Amino acid sequence: MALRLAFTIALCVLASPGIAQDRGQVVTTTTDLRSLTEAVGGDRVAAVSLVPPNMDAEDYQPKPQDMLRLKQARLLVRVGLDYDLWVDRLLVQAGRAEISRGGPAYVDASLAIAVLELRGMSVGPGDGHAHGSGNPHYWLDPKNAETITANIVEALARVDPANASIYEANRQAFLARLNAKLAEWEAKLSALTSMPIVAYHNSWPYFARRFRLDVVGFIETKPGVPPSPSHLAAIVRDMRVRGARIVVREPHEPERDVAFVASKTGAQVVTLAASVGALPRADDYISLFDVNVEALTSAAAKR
Amino acid sequence: MTDVIQFLWPPFLVAICLVGIHTYFGILVLARKVIFVDLALAQIAALGATVAFMLGHSAQSMATYGYSLTFTLLAAVLLAFTRAWGTRVPQEALIGVIYVVAAATAILLIDRAPQGAEHLKQILTGNILTSGLNDVVVIVPLYAAVGLLHWLLRRHMTGAGSLAWEFVFYATFGIVVTSSVAIAGVLLVFSFLIIPAAIGVMFAESLSRQLTIGWIAGTFVSASGLAGSFVFDLPTGAAMVCAFGAALALAGVLYPFLRGDRRWAIRSTIATVRWIGAVILAASAVQFAAAPRADQPLIDLAEWAIPSIRTLYFTRAEATTYADASEHAERYRREAEQLNETERRNRTQGEALDDFTVARISSFLKSYGEMRKGEQFVVGEVRARARERVRWSASFGLLALSLLIAPVRWRWLLRK
Repeated sequence: MALRLAFTIALCVLASPGIAQDRGQVVTTTTDLRSLTEAVGGDRVAAVSLVPPNMDAEDYQPKPQDMLRLKQARLLVRVGLDYDLWVDRLLVQAGRAEISRGGPAYVDASLAIAVLELRGMSVGPGDGHAHGSGNPHYWLDPKNAETITANIVEALARVDPANASIYEANRQAFLARLNAKLAEWEAKLSALTSMPIVAYHNSWPYFARRFRLDVVGFIETKPGVPPSPSHLAAIVRDMRVRGARIVVREPHEPERDVAFVASKTGAQVVTLAASVGALPRADDYISLFDVNVEALTSAAAKR
Repeated sequence: MTDVIQFLWPPFLVAICLVGIHTYFGILVLARKVIFVDLALAQIAALGATVAFMLGHSAQSMATYGYSLTFTLLAAVLLAFTRAWGTRVPQEALIGVIYVVAAATAILLIDRAPQGAEHLKQILTGNILTSGLNDVVVIVPLYAAVGLLHWLLRRHMTGAGSLAWEFVFYATFGIVVTSSVAIAGVLLVFSFLIIPAAIGVMFAESLSRQLTIGWIAGTFVSASGLAGSFVFDLPTGAAMVCAFGAALALAGVLYPFLRGDRRWAIRSTIATVRWIGAVILAASAVQFAAAPRADQPLIDLAEWAIPSIRTLYFTRAEATTYADASEHAERYRREAEQLNETERRNRTQGEALDDFTVARISSFLKSYGEMRKGEQFVVGEVRARARERVRWSASFGLLALSLLIAPVRWRWLLRK
């Protein structure tokens, strides 16, 4: 308890403006974007994520400290695609044109991402165009890190042109490391090619496409609404028919519903991290995939 | 069919157990006028569980249950005192304060222990659908023990006893609520508590008859709520709460027929229905006249039920444009869905789509979305223009219809 309190105070002190002044303060909405910003910014930026690890970023409630962070931010990096809509209201309150939509220090990391499962319309405050929102969990394809980091570096170069070449060099080094890892992950996950998987929430289409995983269904069809009996019955039937033996859940998702489906089908529950920090060992963008790949391959090996 | 029964009988069994104990407590709670006491107790129990999480205990551990129970018993002491304080300030106000402070404290704590957030959400919505025999074996002995204790102490449970008996009442109630809320969630437990008891109290005087009516009604409504949630593909807890609400409304409508002057009941029901109809029609008339381009719920409903009603105010050209645009919008939706499906299939089957192809699909999907939006705009615009044209005649017609339905004796009024 005391330790945790001390840790919190230490974090607050570290995040305070006095220390971070000489380095560029970059505010990101999620921990994934923070990790990617750190990868390209190196020791020239201090990145801070508004949503703490292990919290559901889709229904995060901003705190007064978040406003302070935005007021001091040199750059804002967000997920976009209606994933972090709450940041729009914060930006209006912060009232800084340069980090608001269209400003030089505003980064919508989803720009130029090939969005999957586009249907329907965006509910966010757009710029008059009707962009379908699509599935927002695009950072779970490691290949998309190329586009995300490009977006970040472009904005960093705008606000800090003197160091632009350093950021780009950092990015290239990071991508080289990531690509080497990607080959390793692909090799490991090839063991799961013909293994149908059921997930609690539809967070994994980008991950599934990159690693050719067969996600056959979701327990939760609409966020926040408990599944209906006919839907659960259909999932259980599908799983039996197709021989799905793995149910994927994130740490913040209900244990009971997942355990229920698993007990009806004899499947095993695998807890995966959809964001950096959601599981203890997933503390940066690369280890996020390390942890998930490890969890999936060890579950597959148990069969 | 066997699938259905296999899925629904465990939650049904749990529902029967919950109806059994909660109807009894509900009758006592209604008599004491402490309607929201279960919310306060459930929230206190959740607060206890959150504290346990913060200290590092897991959700299903004995320690977590112990914390919940300790907090609930402390709250029971507090609640036992509220009646003595409740002379100037209503007891319900104090119960409400306990509820909001417990809820707010839990949120503050969760900020430091995020893994508790899921538990708090679970407390609110619960999920009776995934409950089963493992829950039944826990709650049946517990509820039986509480029921037996209350039967032995039945003379002291009327709410007129001393502070100690008050404590026993709130403590036993707290124990029941702690376990039931963890299974079914706050909303459903509140329905189990109040609605069967209210129906029983409505139609009977003695406790035994109130209980019998409440139990029968509760069991029947639980079964129909569960069945409805399966047939109409709805979340189970919410569907059951709505079924309970509908049952209470039905009981309220039937009450004057069963327990009062039947002729008067029929007459006043018809008058009420006519007034409601007249008010809806008059309001639609005003809405149509004031803002013909805005949403017209009544007209939209009529168009949805009988599409041919549009011929009344569409010109032939408008009807063709309307049909064309609707058809195109639907076609774009289908084609986008096909592209989505192709992409999804290719994640695992056949040759993997390269990133360039996926980007192209993504941009096609965006275009389809915009095209569909355009067609939908045309549909809305055609309809709005047609409605604008018949603005005055249509609202006049609606108003006339409303006056016709309203239960006013026009002839008598005119003669005066």
